[in-house]
Parts: sequence; C-alpha cells; structure tokens
Amino acid sequence: MSATQIFNEGATQERAENARLSNIIGAIAVGDLVKSTLGPKGMDKILQSSTRGGDDGLVVTNDGATILKSIPLDNAAAKVLVNISKVQDDEVGDGTTSVCVLAAEILRQAEQLLDQRIHPQTIIDGFRLATSSARTALENAAVSHKDNAEQWREDLLCIARTTLSSKVLASDKDMFAEMCVDAVLRLQGSTNLDRIQIIKKAGGKVSDSYLSDGFILNKKIGVNQPRTIKGARILVANTPMDTDKVKVFGAHIKVSDTAQLAELERAEREKMRAKVQKIAALGINVFVNRQLIYNWPEQLFADAGIMAIEHADFDGVERLALVTGGEIASSFDSPELLKLGSCETVEEIIIGEDRMVKFSGVAAGQACTIVLRGGTQQMLDEAERSIHDAIAVLSQTVAEPRIVYGGGCSETLMSKAVDEAAKTVAGKKSIAMEAFARALRQMPTILADNAGLDSADLVAKLRAAHYDGKNTAGLDLYNGEVIDVKGKVTESFKLKRQVLLSASEAAEMILRVDDIIRCAPRQRRN
Amino acid sequence: MANTATIAPSGGKAAPKPGKKNDTFNMKDKPTQVRLSNITAAKAVADAIRTSLGPRGMDKMIETGKKEVVISNDGATILKHMSVLHPAARMLVDLSAAQDVEAGDGTTSVVVLAGSLLSAAEKLLQKGVHPTQIAEGFQYAAIEAVKILEDISVPVSLDDRAFLLKSATTSLSSKVVSQYSSILAPIVVDSVLRVVDPAADSNVDLNDVRIVKKVGGTIDDTELVPGVVLHQNVITSAGGPTRVEKAKIGLIQFQLSPPKPDMDNQVVVNDYRQMDRILKEERNYLLNLVKKIKKAGCNVLLIQKSILRDAVNSLSLHFLAKLKIMAIKEVEREEIEFICKATGCKPIADIDSFSEDKLGYADLVEEVESNGSRIVQISGIKNAGRTASIVMRGANQYVLDEADRSVHDALCVIRCLVKKRALVVGGGAPEIEISQRLSAIAKQRTGFQAICFQAFAEAMEVIPTTLAENSGLSPIAIVTELRNRHANGEKTAGINVRKGIISDMLEENVIQPLLVSTSAVELSSETVRMLLKIDDILAAR
Repeated sequence: MSATQIFNEGATQERAENARLSNIIGAIAVGDLVKSTLGPKGMDKILQSSTRGGDDGLVVTNDGATILKSIPLDNAAAKVLVNISKVQDDEVGDGTTSVCVLAAEILRQAEQLLDQRIHPQTIIDGFRLATSSARTALENAAVSHKDNAEQWREDLLCIARTTLSSKVLASDKDMFAEMCVDAVLRLQGSTNLDRIQIIKKAGGKVSDSYLSDGFILNKKIGVNQPRTIKGARILVANTPMDTDKVKVFGAHIKVSDTAQLAELERAEREKMRAKVQKIAALGINVFVNRQLIYNWPEQLFADAGIMAIEHADFDGVERLALVTGGEIASSFDSPELLKLGSCETVEEIIIGEDRMVKFSGVAAGQACTIVLRGGTQQMLDEAERSIHDAIAVLSQTVAEPRIVYGGGCSETLMSKAVDEAAKTVAGKKSIAMEAFARALRQMPTILADNAGLDSADLVAKLRAAHYDGKNTAGLDLYNGEVIDVKGKVTESFKLKRQVLLSASEAAEMILRVDDIIRCAPRQRRN
Repeated sequence: MANTATIAPSGGKAAPKPGKKNDTFNMKDKPTQVRLSNITAAKAVADAIRTSLGPRGMDKMIETGKKEVVISNDGATILKHMSVLHPAARMLVDLSAAQDVEAGDGTTSVVVLAGSLLSAAEKLLQKGVHPTQIAEGFQYAAIEAVKILEDISVPVSLDDRAFLLKSATTSLSSKVVSQYSSILAPIVVDSVLRVVDPAADSNVDLNDVRIVKKVGGTIDDTELVPGVVLHQNVITSAGGPTRVEKAKIGLIQFQLSPPKPDMDNQVVVNDYRQMDRILKEERNYLLNLVKKIKKAGCNVLLIQKSILRDAVNSLSLHFLAKLKIMAIKEVEREEIEFICKATGCKPIADIDSFSEDKLGYADLVEEVESNGSRIVQISGIKNAGRTASIVMRGANQYVLDEADRSVHDALCVIRCLVKKRALVVGGGAPEIEISQRLSAIAKQRTGFQAICFQAFAEAMEVIPTTLAENSGLSPIAIVTELRNRHANGEKTAGINVRKGIISDMLEENVIQPLLVSTSAVELSSETVRMLLKIDDILAAR
C-alpha cells in the first residue's frame, strides 16, 4: 500500500500482478465449480439455501446458469463469469456451463503466458486473432438442412437429444426430444416461448410425461356448471366479481332503518346480476376471471349455462388470452371493443390427484402444454429447466438453421484452425494463439474426464483424426471411442458461436484489468 | 492481499462451516465424500422407518414442532413429520410423498427399497464403477424389474369383489387397525365401487369418498353409511327439529342475519321510536326470508359459512324452528361440490332464486347420537350422485387419525386396481422373483451392466429380509428358503408372517395391486439415480 492514504478507511486496492492473479484465480475457481456438470456424464449439484427452508430451499441441478445464479460470490472476475452465463441463458438458453468453463480455461492458459512475462495486451491481441480464425472455421463447418424437411427434423431431434443427454432427462431423451421438437415446430418460427406451457405434477414417473395440444389451466370449474363445452367462446377478464366497490376512502352510506339497508343489499345484488347479464349477452360460454367469483355470480353463470373459472393467476390469464386469441377485458359496456377468444373444446381433466381445465383446439394453433411428471419436486424442477433449455435452443435453431457437430468435434476443429493460423503469425502473438487452441482442446478433455475415460489418450486420438482430414470426428462418451459424430451429436451453430465469442470476450475483459479497488462497505448503524 | 482470491463472502452467513474464513475450496467437498455423505444420510432415513414395514411392523411416535403427538405406521406420514435437514434425506421424504400420490400405499417399502439400492450403489462405487454407469445400469434393471412384475401379475376384474377385499385386507393388515380389517375392508371396497363406474372409469376421485371422524366408541363401530353424513351438527338452540322425514334439502350461500351491504354503512337513529321500528323491520326482514324458504317447500337448510357476517342469528333460528325447518350451519365452501353431488341439490346464492327445483330430496334427515357424539345422516336420497360416506369411530384422536390414514391407504389400493387392473402377491414374493430373474439376466450381460443388474437384484431382497426381521423370524433362514422355493418354480411363495413359515401367498390371500409394486420400483430407482448423479452440495443464497 502506498504511504499516503488516499482511499477511505476500509477501502482496499490490489494492483498489477496481484489484481490479475486474484481475478484469474477467481474465474478459474468458478470454472472448476461447474466443470463437472459438463457433458452427458456430467454430475449434478445440490444447492441448499441458507435463507429459505422447505422444498424451495433445495435444488438439484445440472444447469450452469442455475448453479451460478444461486451461489453468493465475492470476486469481481467470478461475477463476470456468472454474468456471461446469464447472458448465454437469455440469448440461447443452453451452453451456460460451456461458456463459463471455456472462459476459465482460456484464463488458465493466459496465466501461464503471464508467467512467461508476456504482456497482457500481446496476449489479448493473440486471442483476438485466434477467436476470429476459430469463428471462421466454425462458420465453414456449419451446415443447414432447412430445405430438406425430413433431414431438418432429424437435425432438430439430434440437437434436442444432445441438449437433453446432459440433463436429468437423459434416460428418456428420445421421448422428450420428440416432445420438444413437436412443441417448437408448432411455434412456426416464433421464438416466443410463452406459448409452450409447462405443468409440473408430482407423482408418476418421468416417462409418464406427455405433450398435450392446447392449454391447461390449473383451476377448477365452478359448481353446477357444464364440465365440457364444445365450440367454446371464451371471455378472459380481470374484473371484480364480488361487488363493484366504490374505491374512495371512507365512502359510506347513512341510512335510517334496516329496510333501507336491505334495499341497498338488494341493489348491490341487482348490480351484479346486471353485470353477469351483460357478460352473458356477449354470447360467451366460458368465462375466465383473474379475480374471485363469489357464490352469487357463480350461480348466475351456472343458470346461464356458462362455465366460469375463478382466480386464474396473472400468468394464466395472459397466456390464455394469447393462445385463445382473445384479449383481457375489464369492462363490459361496449361489447364491440371486446375481443373474445375461442377454442374447440374446453373440458375438465384429472392429472395426478388434481382436476384441471383443458382448452384444446385453440385459435392460436401454436400453443401446447407439456405435462411433466416425476418422483420428487427436485426432479420436476430440474426436468422443467432441462425442457426449457432444449426448447430455447430448438427455437433459436429454427430461427438460425445452421448446425455444427458436438462431442468435442467443433472445439477440435476450431483448435486445429487456430493452430494453423498461429503458424502464419510472426511474433509473440502466435504463442498466445497456441494457448487459445489448447484452451479449446480442454473442452473435449473435460467431457472425457467427466465420463471417467482416459482423456489424454482420447483427445490425442481425436486431434489426430482431425488432422487426418476427418472433420466430423468426435467423442462417443458412452463407449469411450472416437467416432464420426455426423448425424449423432449435433449442436446449434448459434450456441457454439455464442459460447466462443462470449468466453473470449470475458477472458479478454478480465485480462485487461490491472487494478481492483474495493470500496469500504457502508457501515450500518445497528 | 496475497494470491488467495475469495469467491465466497469471507466468513459469510452462507458458509457451511462457520469459523473457517476465506477458505475457498472448503466450500465444496470432494465429489466422493459428497456422494458418500448423501448415501449415508439417505440410508439413515430408510433405516429409521425400516422397522415399520409389514404386518408385524412397529409404529413410531413423533412429537411435532407444535408439541402434537402423531403415532403412525404409515411411511409417508412418519417422514412428513420428521424434521429432516440433510438435502439427500429430504429427497427420500419427497419420494415417499410421491408414492403416496401415485399409489397411496407402499410408502414405507419405496423408501426402504431406495435405501437398499443406495447401499448397493455404495459398494459398486467402492469397486470403482463410475456413478453415471451405476445410474444407467439401475435404470435398465428397473425397466426389466417392471417387466417381470407385469409378467407375474394376475389380471383382475372389478366385479370380483373377493379379490378386491383381499387386497384391501393386505394393505390394512400392516396397520394399527389390522384386527379390524374384516370390518374395514368391505367398507373400503364398497365405497370405491359406489363412486366409480366400473365400465368407464380409469381413475377414482377420492374426494368423492368422505370420511367423518368422531371420537367415541371403537373402530368396530365404523360404518359405511347409506346416503350422506355431515360432520356439522344441527342447531338446536332455538328448539328446531332434529329429525325430518321426506326432507327437501336446500343449500344456501347467503345469510339469515340482518342485511349488510358491502359498502360501509351507518344506521342513523334520531329518536327512540325509530329504534322500535328498526327492531321491527329487522324482524320482518328475517321473517320474510324464512317464509320464502318455507314457501319453496324446503325443510332442511344447509348454510354456507361466511367470513363477512353471521350465518344465522338467534332471531332467524327462532323463525326456522317455528316453521319446522332444520338448520345446519358452517358448511365450508370446499364442501359445496361434494354435498351438491351427493344430495342432488344446487347451491342457492340469493333468496330470489330460491326455488323448488334447486332442492334435493331425501326420505330422512336425522341427527343420530351414538357413542357420545352426534352426526347428521341423510338417507334415502333421490338422484344421488356417486359418492360415499364413511363414519369412522375410535377410542381416541390418535387411533382415529391412524385409522383414517390406514383407510385412506386401503382406498388408494382399490383405486390402483381401478387404474391398472392387475394384482401381484405380497409377502416378499414378487421381490424375490425379481431378484432371481434379474440375476439370471445379469449373467447374460457383460460389462458394468452385468454387475449393476446383479447389485440391483440383491438389493431387492431387502423387502423379504426386513419382513422377516420385523416379524421376529430368522432373516437368513427365511430368505434362503424363499430363494430355494422360487428357484423351484413356486412363483407365489412368500413369507407367511403370522405362522412364521413360507407358504403360497395366493392361498393366504396376501395380494396387492400391481401398480403399488411397479411404482415403488420405478420411483425408488429414479430417486437413487438422481442421488448418484450429485457430486456437490453448495450453499446458495
């Protein structure tokens, strides 16, 4: 520390080598933390919350973003890695672990270069060159089969299987891959995943899960109302169905005797009846309200033969409005402004022990529901995350149809390209490029390590295969061999590109830092 | 300021081991240790409830956080009340709950089985088999096990009452109420059969079976009531009738008390004459309501509970009593659907819509008193829906609660048979059969699958072993004899716990639904697989 104190008391400063090392070690620690979850034989983690009890506090997961989001970190560089993993989750939905691990591996290589007294800026220059040649190689290797419908579906299935194989659903990946692809193809190119609803119900086994067309609402139908309606016309509303209260504070009525009070009560009831009549006059036969429906209007609806569903949550009504093509209404005075939703059938179904309402044949044909079953709540939560990842990747792939090969194939391909580019570059930069290539090769190494295989041997074989011109060679982690992964392990091009770019950007950013100033935490007064 | 970077808040609240500061890498234990600690914790849970398996299983007494005492033999109930802290152990609690939802019975076996599978996995781990390979091997083994179970199962028809009775008896026999199984089993079977349409239904909504618990008497007095039973009592404070023949039942969702609009209101009284008028008007108002009710022909009135105002007041009760209308209050909103279905009435939310077509008809509504408690029985209902009511009695609250759980389990057993109409025998026979056939399969395979199959097969033997242990028999003698019998082709040989010998379970009438066994195998192997895949426990926010 400098002799003259220029910071506030409690503030600290780390400089040059120290700062760099502290950052690199932090990032590597994070990378190591999630590294074991990578690949089809990756392991899961238990996250136990210190603040929340019960089932909320216990999460079992394989998803990098979920793990990193949940653990409290106090290292600037580590936070950067968490951030890129989050961005990856938002952008592509999967590859959240890979991006973190790759960034950490790049930094691990950079650390060695720093030991050799190479200036960080030189390293960064080399990394940039390496990134761009890796990217070119990846782009050249990417193929698209969108024109050929059959091949295209096969590709999507393959991507789904690859994503799911590293998750808890690995054992039923074929079934879930079909499910996800069907769901995504219904979206017809849209990346709005709101239309795919996931319902979790404990009980049963994972393979009892199914894809249901239409929309399922986890609510009950009112007493004495029709249980099945064909050719439904649906009004989705958010309106008080107890009484229309005057929302002026302190508003109250003065009366002089009980008869008047009784009249008032009657008037309130008449008002509600008028409201129900107004709604019924719209010609609907299904009424879904976000708020409670009291007994009295419930009975009126039953008398009018309308199915009334109360207390659907916000998420529920919004999705329902979206999928049935209606709009959420809150006043009924001008029927011409209301937009009703419609669907072919509304019926009551039983999932597990609970009754639910199913809307099938909805106006927006894209909508569908995935019903997940599983032994424990943790299982269901993790299954939901896995499905979400797969669906996100698939929908991105539909938008950007190019694919690349997985199983360490793309990484080896890129590392080969980087190595070859390094040969043409003069100066210290080429050392950095070679280091980058090594970092890329770490990905198949980790995959093999996690599967309990001899990684050094396998990766060497893989590399040799690539130099031998077999551009589609990759690892078969189930049998521990180098195989041709074409048509077997496929990944989205967008995902891989995003992993490469985010990881190298993050690594570059961390390398550039040479000073960490930590402000003193604000003192809390008791 | 050294090279030690911290990725955890130093000495933070979330650090699992307080006292160790800045210890980055102690945040996570080594994967093997984590796995072993998970296995140990989960096994501890399994061991805790192991002794309650089977007809000679013991009960547990649990004092809950609220100082309430629960005595139970039901695995799901015991685990629910145990305050389990370890995350892996909590997953076994969930497993038991899942079995409860899916099959309703076998909640103890599923946990015991999971514990045994974990011990097997532990041994394999020590041999150096990779955890994902064990997980995979167990998955295939579970699939084979289910196939074997389906193979040895016997199809059953819902018309075959004797079979249904036997399976209900098997489920009840391990409970505190086992000596009453001859009384309870028919009640259980009949109530499910009353609710389902055997031809059409593939599921049973157990909400349609109502159990009314009353302390007093013994479990012998439990009965399936023709018609409907309400646990609410008739209000007799104003001297209203407690027995009504040719009843017309009205279910109202409004209140018989002075009017109260939703707006804030204030009655302004200017002089004392007005007070008389107000009293008179209130009287008139209520009288008017009651008269309208009478006019529609209603003579039994069920009143829904309201949080906003009193359901009835003494004045309206007086009028009701005068007009010979029986009044029952405090009907919960959740009960409305059941009551409507059972009595064929429709809820009435406003006095103006109180008409005769919304009423339900019954020959007799009566409040009966027996064993010191009163219940309301509605019998001879016209247009009754498919519902059933059971009045359950017991000497004290604990026995009653446990009996309720046992009957619920037995109801679930019958429901399983409705869902999947096949039976397997009990007494450890299917487990031994699975074990033997799986070892045979194991011998045909090579590589890690072979040893995983073998380990799975041996783990299945925990059920007969535990059954024997809990019954005070020699587990080694019994299990080896069982193996021998099964190897000689006696597929239905099982442990006869009462006599302490091996005999044919079909003849002993020890049978259970196929679904209970398959779901136990599937769910436990699923949970074990999930536990094996975990290599780290992290403290999260």
